[in-house]
Amino acid sequence: MKVICSRCESPGVTQMHAGMEDGKVLWRVWHCKDCAYTWRDSEPAESIDPKLRPAWAQMKGVDFDSLRQVIPPARKPT
Amino acid sequence: MATEKVVSLSAEAKAVAARVGSLRDFLAYLGEHDQCVSWPDPVMPEPDIRNISVAAGNNVSTGPAVIFDKIRGYPGKRIAVNVHGSFGNLALLLGLPKITPVRELFFEIIRRWGSDKPLLERVAPEKAPVNENRVDKNINLYDLLPLYRINANDGGFYIGKACVVSRDPLEPDNFGKQNVGIYRIQVMGPDTFTLLSIPAHDMGRQMLMAEQHGKPLKVSVMIGNHPAMPMFAATPVGYDESEFAYASQMMGAPLRLTTAVNGTDILADTEMVIEGELQLNQREVEGPFGEFPGSYSGVRKVPLFRVTGVSHRNNPIFENIYIGKGWTEHDTLIGLNTSAPIYSQLKKDFPEVAAVNALYQHGLTGIISVRNRFSGFAKSVAMRALGTPHGTMYLKNLILVDENVDPFDLNQVMWALSTRTRANDIIVIPNMPMVPIDPAAEVPGKGHRLIIDATSFMAPDNLGADPHLVDRPMGPEIDALMQRLNELQKGRA
Ligand SMILES: [Zn+2]
Repeated sequence: MKVICSRCESPGVTQMHAGMEDGKVLWRVWHCKDCAYTWRDSEPAESIDPKLRPAWAQMKGVDFDSLRQVIPPARKPT
Repeated sequence: MATEKVVSLSAEAKAVAARVGSLRDFLAYLGEHDQCVSWPDPVMPEPDIRNISVAAGNNVSTGPAVIFDKIRGYPGKRIAVNVHGSFGNLALLLGLPKITPVRELFFEIIRRWGSDKPLLERVAPEKAPVNENRVDKNINLYDLLPLYRINANDGGFYIGKACVVSRDPLEPDNFGKQNVGIYRIQVMGPDTFTLLSIPAHDMGRQMLMAEQHGKPLKVSVMIGNHPAMPMFAATPVGYDESEFAYASQMMGAPLRLTTAVNGTDILADTEMVIEGELQLNQREVEGPFGEFPGSYSGVRKVPLFRVTGVSHRNNPIFENIYIGKGWTEHDTLIGLNTSAPIYSQLKKDFPEVAAVNALYQHGLTGIISVRNRFSGFAKSVAMRALGTPHGTMYLKNLILVDENVDPFDLNQVMWALSTRTRANDIIVIPNMPMVPIDPAAEVPGKGHRLIIDATSFMAPDNLGADPHLVDRPMGPEIDALMQRLNELQKGRA
């Protein structure tokens, strides 16, 4: 099954690590390149299921460029 | 010996300072006093570590540090939480009995305050335990550290208790302008992380400077430190004062420093150091994070760092913190060191100030006990407190009580509120600066301050002119009797 981001539902996710137990994969950690959400697929559904996560925490359709800057950059990144 | 001239310590305090040189030493010492437990069962990273951390922190007086060494999917890895999670643990660090009242801990910090001789030892990098292992290539923080989600709706896996060392980007050779602070760190890619600071903090200033001048900003993220370091790294010292020097002065014992590969000074006995470099003008989506006011911060764009190398001890311990809706380890870790500078700054101008309790949510609520020099005097003291460096941003609700009311005993504070407060005599100062993450702000960064004068009335105020106060027995004699009763209860008398 194709893995999508738990928070913004983007398909642009990368596996960061796999936790092993007795030579088998117990869980995998995923990271989203769009909204930067990180999760482990063994976590409770409240953290990783887009349908069960609170609506306020979801970022589907959010314009990431419009987010507030905490330290404004001096210039455009090179 | 220099130590004796700086701050006179009890024999117990000297013994603790001499034997505790690292997190490992402290965990062993806590264990001897039943203040550290190894969790015996296998745990899942989520939600087990979160839940056990909360349970340990719920006992504010004697909750233990907890070590996890059976983390499923992370064989061989270790995590320690709640190391500073109870006043009992702090008391042991200061060489006091673990049941020492908070008020006495406060005065012990005050007693050690103001010593000015740095006690620092240099260790050659090849002899520093932190350099037992080095990772320069194929760096993956998710593999090196048993990372986990602290609160259920955090945006990722946070390193919440690391002490971050950075040099001034314009004066990289100036030791005094080297900053050590605790900033929240969200791990992003395998070798990238964000570090949250605001322009008002030292790290934020350094980020702004680096980007304005196009200079590199190198940082060392120290994880699992000497217990004095996180406790005192969060104390606001002047920009050109060293937190290393300060922490060693407060312990009255040398801290061992060595030089990291990137040139910053680091603790030689720290568990792990992640060296990183600011990616100039690059930002990453960061948050939310369950913060100390007990609510999630928003999602924002935050400066990004790339990891250039990792050094760590054999079998390193990932020390982390539970933070969120209080009471949490965060409150115990920084509470006394938030209160102490406010007290010492007030005391300079107003010797009538008896004690300051700013334990609650980094001082969002503070209680000051003070003897009224004249009617209305306490209000002037409150105004001065709002003008202290910490008060400017944090002291939102201030309660003033008499000098014979212990601000650390909330039953006494409630007595003062019940019997001394006039509802038409409170002060609200609108639209003051405020911590951006305070959910009660009008807009992030701006809100109102509240001053409640709950001190006794005096002339020319004719209210309560004849109060006939009951002289409640108190002092060392009563303390000794309470101790005796305590022992009788435990059947040890
Ligand atoms: Zn996403």
